[in-house]
Amino acid sequence: MIVEAICALAAVYSVIRVLLEKSTFKKLAYLNVLNFAVAGAIVLLLPHPITIGAAVAYFVGATLESNAIASTLAVGGEE
Amino acid sequence: MLEQLPYIAAATVICLVLFVVIDILWKLPKKGGVSGAEAIANDIEATGGNKHGGYMIGNIITSPDASAGTLLAACGFFIYGVIGAVVAAVLVFIGARICADKGYAGLTGALAATAVIWACTTFLGFAPETFIAGIVLAILIVEVLSLKFSSKIIGKLWGKRT
Amino acid sequence: MDILTLMAAFLILIGGIAALISKSAFNKLILLGVLTAGAVMLFVKNGYLDAAIAVSLLMPVGTLFILFLMGKKKEAAND
Repeated sequence: MIVEAICALAAVYSVIRVLLEKSTFKKLAYLNVLNFAVAGAIVLLLPHPITIGAAVAYFVGATLESNAIASTLAVGGEE
Repeated sequence: MLEQLPYIAAATVICLVLFVVIDILWKLPKKGGVSGAEAIANDIEATGGNKHGGYMIGNIITSPDASAGTLLAACGFFIYGVIGAVVAAVLVFIGARICADKGYAGLTGALAATAVIWACTTFLGFAPETFIAGIVLAILIVEVLSLKFSSKIIGKLWGKRT
Repeated sequence: MDILTLMAAFLILIGGIAALISKSAFNKLILLGVLTAGAVMLFVKNGYLDAAIAVSLLMPVGTLFILFLMGKKKEAAND
């Protein structure tokens, strides 16, 4: 019970920091913390062996999305 | 339910030390792996942080590193024991290759976290789900509370290693 | 009511409303990531693990196509 509460509080706090932040790169850092909390919450929701695959797939997909956004913003900002 | 709180605090400290040590051993604060990590480091340095700490935070954001390995090994151990944690380590290695990362930090972090979690649950009486809460709190401390101070502390540790 | 279900509902509502209000294109992509996190949590809660894996692997592909279309415009990268 306390573990679920910690994951939920971490997610809510990082979402509030994402909404209040101006710089896009710092938003990506806070979004990463949200991904950690959601990947933990996915495992806590349904303990089944395939859930490991679901958690890894979600985390890799979200990381790839952050990677693409940061790379595009770095190339576009320098021109 | 509240008697798990000291175990969660201890697991937070263990996870924090584990992934910071493995990331520094694999030389993540040396340079940005992709162009997005360098841009994040420059943005952190522009607001008063340290450049090498910014490189490490950028590498954590743009590819699965030792922190992701620790989280997913804890998840695998919670579901299926040691076998689940090793399967999660292999999947983290494949995911790091998908994200164009050439290092072995994710695999090493997952295997080291598997060994540490197995030792703590077998001999010290930790519940496996306390490590999930521990790594979430550890990454919350590093990245959300203050990016400026955490990048300065990581830069100081990196300067002590070289 | 489970606390993790409340967390998924919070993520979906906040992500969707903030993506509607936000002006910058990169902020919209980041907030759509928040919305997808809540949606994947609801899939896993009801047991649809295959749908969760498919959604979380196909989400960065859509983001990559939007970024390819958007990367040429300089005004999208500056704000």
